[in-house]
Amino acid sequence: MRILLVQPAPFENGRMGLENALWLSEPAALTSIAATVADEHEVRILDMRLEDADVLPRVLAEFRPELVGVTSMTTDAYQARAVAYCAKSILGDGTFTIIGGHHPTLVPEEHDVECLDAVCIGEGEETFAELVQHLGAGGDPEDLDHIDGLAFRRGGEQVMTAKRSQARELDTFPTPARDLITEYQGRYFFGPAIGMASIQTSRGCAFDCNFCAIWEFYERKVRLLSAKAIVDRMEAVPEKFVMFLDDNFLTHRPRLEELLDEIDRRGVKKLWMVQGRTDFVVENPDLLSRMRDAGMIMLLSGYETNDDGTLDSLKKDNTRANNLEASRLLNRLGVLTTGIFMTHPDFEEEDFDELYAAINEMRITIPLVVVHMPLPGTQAWRENKDRLLTRDARLFDLLHAVVPTRLPRRRFYELYARWNQATMLSTRRSFSPRFFVKRPRVMAALLPGFRLFRDRLRVLRRAIEDPESYLRDEIEIIVEQEPADAGERVPELVA
Amino acid sequence: MDTLVPQAPPANGRKPAGWLVELEREVESHPAVNHLLLARLATGPYTDGDYRVFGLQHYALVGFFTKYMELLLVRAPSSAEKLWLAKVLVNEYGEGSDGLDHTALYAKYLLDAGADEGELETTPLCAEVWNFVGEHLRICREEPFLVGLGALGPGHEWAIPKMFGHVIPGLRRAGLSEEAILYFTLHTEQDIDHGAWMTEVLAELVTTEEGRAEVRRGALLSLEARYRFWTGVERQIVARRQPVSIEAVRRGLHGPQRESPRVDSPGDLRALRRAIDAFFRGKPWPVRMEGRRP
Repeated sequence: MRILLVQPAPFENGRMGLENALWLSEPAALTSIAATVADEHEVRILDMRLEDADVLPRVLAEFRPELVGVTSMTTDAYQARAVAYCAKSILGDGTFTIIGGHHPTLVPEEHDVECLDAVCIGEGEETFAELVQHLGAGGDPEDLDHIDGLAFRRGGEQVMTAKRSQARELDTFPTPARDLITEYQGRYFFGPAIGMASIQTSRGCAFDCNFCAIWEFYERKVRLLSAKAIVDRMEAVPEKFVMFLDDNFLTHRPRLEELLDEIDRRGVKKLWMVQGRTDFVVENPDLLSRMRDAGMIMLLSGYETNDDGTLDSLKKDNTRANNLEASRLLNRLGVLTTGIFMTHPDFEEEDFDELYAAINEMRITIPLVVVHMPLPGTQAWRENKDRLLTRDARLFDLLHAVVPTRLPRRRFYELYARWNQATMLSTRRSFSPRFFVKRPRVMAALLPGFRLFRDRLRVLRRAIEDPESYLRDEIEIIVEQEPADAGERVPELVA
Repeated sequence: MDTLVPQAPPANGRKPAGWLVELEREVESHPAVNHLLLARLATGPYTDGDYRVFGLQHYALVGFFTKYMELLLVRAPSSAEKLWLAKVLVNEYGEGSDGLDHTALYAKYLLDAGADEGELETTPLCAEVWNFVGEHLRICREEPFLVGLGALGPGHEWAIPKMFGHVIPGLRRAGLSEEAILYFTLHTEQDIDHGAWMTEVLAELVTTEEGRAEVRRGALLSLEARYRFWTGVERQIVARRQPVSIEAVRRGLHGPQRESPRVDSPGDLRALRRAIDAFFRGKPWPVRMEGRRP
């Protein structure tokens, strides 16, 4: 079979967001899925974040795939659907279209549309391989009941198959087919780390934060790739930077120790970035020190907030003291920190100031302040479902309040839009000349990417520091009406 | 922009009807006809304000199709081509639409979508609109007649019903009435008729390799201008909410760097009309033509 897998552009073509300005990681889900079928079938991957929009119809017309797969996070949902529509438009109903990823898994009913023949629910490798085997053998595209983990259309109705077990050991999956994205290599980045490979070494998370759907997606199980397999993959990538895509890399200390031993034994000299929790940093300073020595340059953590009460309400199972201590420790080690913080629609004026002051106190290198978002599939979604002002996926980008704000929306965004300016002190305190002395090799590697990163940031800042930018996004989608009596304002759901 | 479709196989030995079927398929799978903006309009939520932005750019194209046809009509070498062009022109002037010509029909759609009358004339038109109009004037005046026929025939009549078929569901979802969207629904019907008439005419004309190459070249020239036009419209829709994004694209700060859109508008509809008048008086088109030609 000819199979085309597509990573859609986020938001809309030509629209800038945090994703394509601050980071862009490989379409790891697609390379992983492709690897399960690439030996027997002709597979291509298109990353539409790095292509002109005309490339999709051109490739569809030339390659004429019999199966088109597309992956989607929440903000990509409309673009992903457009990809499937475009495939049907050019190739006709004979081409099978399937969507997978977090958003379709958590709300498959939203993808019950004519242009999508099926939704892959949960982990995709085995489901996709079985589907390809069935279709490749000339199987009926409406007779898919025997394939677990699908929602497919039969006679215009969406039919769910049995749940797909997600217990397979990660080491038994084939190595992601990175050879299918060779043409894009060198263009993935995190900040100034341009030319970055992406490797996923675990799936799932043992924590149950109520704003996150990862643990629900993976049913609270954590599976780990072995240390040997991780280093095999590190050695195989030509890029000097590696981003470990795990939602929580800092878990299971024995595996990390084994990984560091393996890196050391094989003399791997990559510079790598991970995501992980601050409590692990505080509890394992010796390990973090070893990780730094083994090439770790950045840790991205969800610090979330500046007080223990809010951390509890988010079910974060962490403390402000841990956040402070972790950032202190990481700064001392010369590990760059990226910290995600949340404003909340319930914020009063002083809450913003307190949050920004706390960030400056923590000395985070790259603080990113977002708006608390009840993403589909999370506990927060279920709790706030009836308060949602919109279900327009474009506004579920962590930059908009999709439930009513306590402050008038304009005022909320005026205060929110200050975050970048208000937390620059944090960056200056963390990224001081001392860092250059501590890690000259890292600085030398990052230096070539600084100019492009700076230019990207300059443009992005003009959007994120402008309160009107957020309000313009909401035009005709969320409209705040003046109440009849002075007092609370009532946003109205428009569409 | 690169040439968007592969080279057609040689025409030798094929009958005109078979060749025309292949050309029709090529047109229908062209990126212009399947632009991601159209797919988004068909499947995703856009507000009536977004459709207003879309329509205010598209409106400029509606008013000038008859100009291209008039230019081509006087250059038609025989009565068969003249007859097809005249029949389509009569339709475009308003037959079958209660006496309203297509510009008036489109204006009605825009007013129903919330535009005010002044906006129709004063909205800055993106460079891709100017490019589209200028390219078609040039084709119809300077290129061989069959290239012009390829642009206005296959490039329009085979493309429009499918393109508008993508747009119409979105217009309905945005709450616009059937009356308001008559321009679009009428064109999906009329252009199918126009396409069928044209097939008859073309079957007589595309008997040689050279003639086929000219017709195909015209169709692709038109479609490539159309592709750029949709991209321009899409950027206007994005820019309405996030003007900074357009600058990011222009500077190649994210994503691909092959397309570098102009940020400034060359002018509104009044300026466009003046440019057309000047073009007819022999002045050069004021906007640089973008894109490669097949």
